[in-house]
Amino acid sequence: MLEVKNLSVTFPEGTAVDNISFSMEKGEILAIIGESGSGKSMTSLSIAGLLPHDAAVSGEIVFEGRELLTMSAKERRGIQGKDISMVFQEPMTSLNPVMKIGKQVEEVLVLHTELGREERKQRVLEALTAAGLADPERLYHAYPHQLSGGMRQRVMIAMATVLQPRLMIADEPTTALDKKIQGQILSLLKQINKDRQMGILFISHNLEVVRDFCDRILVMYRGKLVESGTPEEIFHNPKEDYTKKLLASIPDGKRSEGAETGNRKPVLEVKSLNVYYPEKRKQKKQVIFDASFTIYEREMVGLVGESGGGKSSLSKAILGLNKHIEGTIIHHTEYPQMVFQDPYSSLNPAKRIGWILEEPLRIQGKLDKKERKEKVLHMLECVGLEPSYAQRRPRELSGGQRQRIAIALALILESKFIIADEPVSALDVTIQAQILELLKKLKEEFGLSYLFISHDMAVINEMCDRVFRLRDGKLYEEL
Amino acid sequence: MKKIGKKVITLIITLLLISFTAFLAFQIIPGDPAAAVLGIDATEQQLAALRREMGLDRPLAVRYISWVWDFAHGDLGQSYHYRTAVSGLLAGKLPVTLALTALSFVFILAISIPLGIVMARFADTRLGKAMNVGNQTLMSIPSFFLGVLLILVFGLILKWFTPGEYISYTESVTGFLGYLIAPAMAIAIPKSAMVIKFLRSSVLEQRRSDYVRTAYSKGNTDNRVLFVHVLKNACIPVITILGMMIADTMAGSIVVEQVFNLPGLGRLLVSSIGNRDYPVVQAIIVYIASAVVIVNFIVDIIYRIADPRIRDVSL
Repeated sequence: MLEVKNLSVTFPEGTAVDNISFSMEKGEILAIIGESGSGKSMTSLSIAGLLPHDAAVSGEIVFEGRELLTMSAKERRGIQGKDISMVFQEPMTSLNPVMKIGKQVEEVLVLHTELGREERKQRVLEALTAAGLADPERLYHAYPHQLSGGMRQRVMIAMATVLQPRLMIADEPTTALDKKIQGQILSLLKQINKDRQMGILFISHNLEVVRDFCDRILVMYRGKLVESGTPEEIFHNPKEDYTKKLLASIPDGKRSEGAETGNRKPVLEVKSLNVYYPEKRKQKKQVIFDASFTIYEREMVGLVGESGGGKSSLSKAILGLNKHIEGTIIHHTEYPQMVFQDPYSSLNPAKRIGWILEEPLRIQGKLDKKERKEKVLHMLECVGLEPSYAQRRPRELSGGQRQRIAIALALILESKFIIADEPVSALDVTIQAQILELLKKLKEEFGLSYLFISHDMAVINEMCDRVFRLRDGKLYEEL
Repeated sequence: MKKIGKKVITLIITLLLISFTAFLAFQIIPGDPAAAVLGIDATEQQLAALRREMGLDRPLAVRYISWVWDFAHGDLGQSYHYRTAVSGLLAGKLPVTLALTALSFVFILAISIPLGIVMARFADTRLGKAMNVGNQTLMSIPSFFLGVLLILVFGLILKWFTPGEYISYTESVTGFLGYLIAPAMAIAIPKSAMVIKFLRSSVLEQRRSDYVRTAYSKGNTDNRVLFVHVLKNACIPVITILGMMIADTMAGSIVVEQVFNLPGLGRLLVSSIGNRDYPVVQAIIVYIASAVVIVNFIVDIIYRIADPRIRDVSL
């Protein structure tokens, strides 16, 4: 049904997909596995015809005998949504916030069929029901923000199945959801695949998720296809080192490192923490309820949750930036630091990098001028930048380089504990991978612990030893 | 509904505060209104008598309450200078300023929304970039200077209207509106440029959203994505700007009325300040400030209608 031959996708800043070929049978579930920046999403977007404008594509994508890459934009649109549909990772933002759910699902029918208004509505209600949504009549008139993440993802699935396409591309469709909802969505997809003989191209960073779900697995690494096979072959007889590494990183239920935490020293202990947000007239709104956790040395702990769910309130409380708290916060290390999302606005644009990096040392006053200078140069080297960068100003640096400076700044006082608040979400995918790599490397070199805040479960799963989820101000550990 | 009730109460309190500030300001500034009426030759007795007649000898609070009370009932006091009711004075000028403001606002909408969309649609092309540069230039031209240019080009060279020959709306409504076109354009063009800039960047920002990718995955054309999906989302922040523009337009009309010799509130305000005609100045200030507050109140409500996320906060 689908045949991809010698596909390459290049961007001005580098190659995302490097000469890959594979094929897919009708009704098959094929998984593409890889870490962020491996090119798996770009592969799926090339098939869906949704690549960014600055991408250059070469090769062939043949779908049911038609070449997708060379056909006209008009022909392509005739396939999009009708024969090939797509479900994305972020159910929170993938739906139009000011359009009713019913209209958004119905749009596929408006674009591709001649059905009348009543018939269309009937089909939409059926699709919503088939996607496991109760009370479709009410949902038809609801807006996305009134629905939970799981429900929104079901709406996306209803949208992607309402015309019964032959191929659905699902790009990390369960990654942003809770474990429990993940299972439900996967079984829904499996059922749709069985009932309607719809092929599913399933993109994921997580081998474990696709194990019982797909017929075949492709493993991608740095834009290349490194291995392919059935789940049995991949899990029991992996050929490539990278696949073995991926398999080794799957937690085996009891968490390999969890057993050692007894011997490890804690860097941060939080006990029964309540955090309030001051409102007018001395009223306080409680944003964190009774949170308790410990972060140990050399540990990366992830913190996820919906925006406005209290992630920033918690990190501010930990750093002592919010005084409206009850409970205990014990730091066992000096100078806990923070790395922010936007590396540009968090660096003073008027100063040179050397000055910015030296500032905490100057304030601390322990080192003399020469020692400070040496320390700055050493820190630049640690984050992979030339010494000459000390003379530059923030605006002369790229986003990735600025984030490297922000990390150097967090480490210059030899801090052992760092809160990283969405440190890569403002960066391009390839740069993201480099910064994540750097954070891992520094963790080993300096024995760091991180509290890693992100909305991107793919990144969290790749980076973290343990994950906490904040929901309605309460902290849950994900198992 | 409860939220709107709350907003109405806030609105009333704001209006009272505005009136109090406007009242108090003219009590504090130096200068005796009685002296302003009678001139420098007046005797002390004449001044005292006039002060009593004008109620200036009563305590501040009493004067404020009676002023607000009268104000609320349409009695805006007596003009010191023209010796007639302020309400009568304003009644003659208000339609001119209101018509000018309304016409300017219609022009702002008519110019900025289509152009903002076109410029966002073609932002990556040479044409789009050139239009953006032109827009930046227009934005920096002050209204009064543009007014002079419009008089020169359309009045003196093309002779589409006769500069200075104002046609009253009582004579001919079409003639009146025709005369207002040039001043309204002078106000609208720089403001439109600002709205265009804002709308353009709002559209461009929305185009990078995830839901836009979803829309393309369904097989939508560029135009359909823009008009069906992006536009409504992009307009939500622009509503705030447009609300501020209405307030700005009223302020802008004060200067432009001078340039085009329009007998509106702006000219009355300027001459009344010169004459120390406080009741007139107070009334105009209260009128302009109230208009700004009420427009903002309406914008708030439109915001609620446009964005379902704000509408449902209380749900």
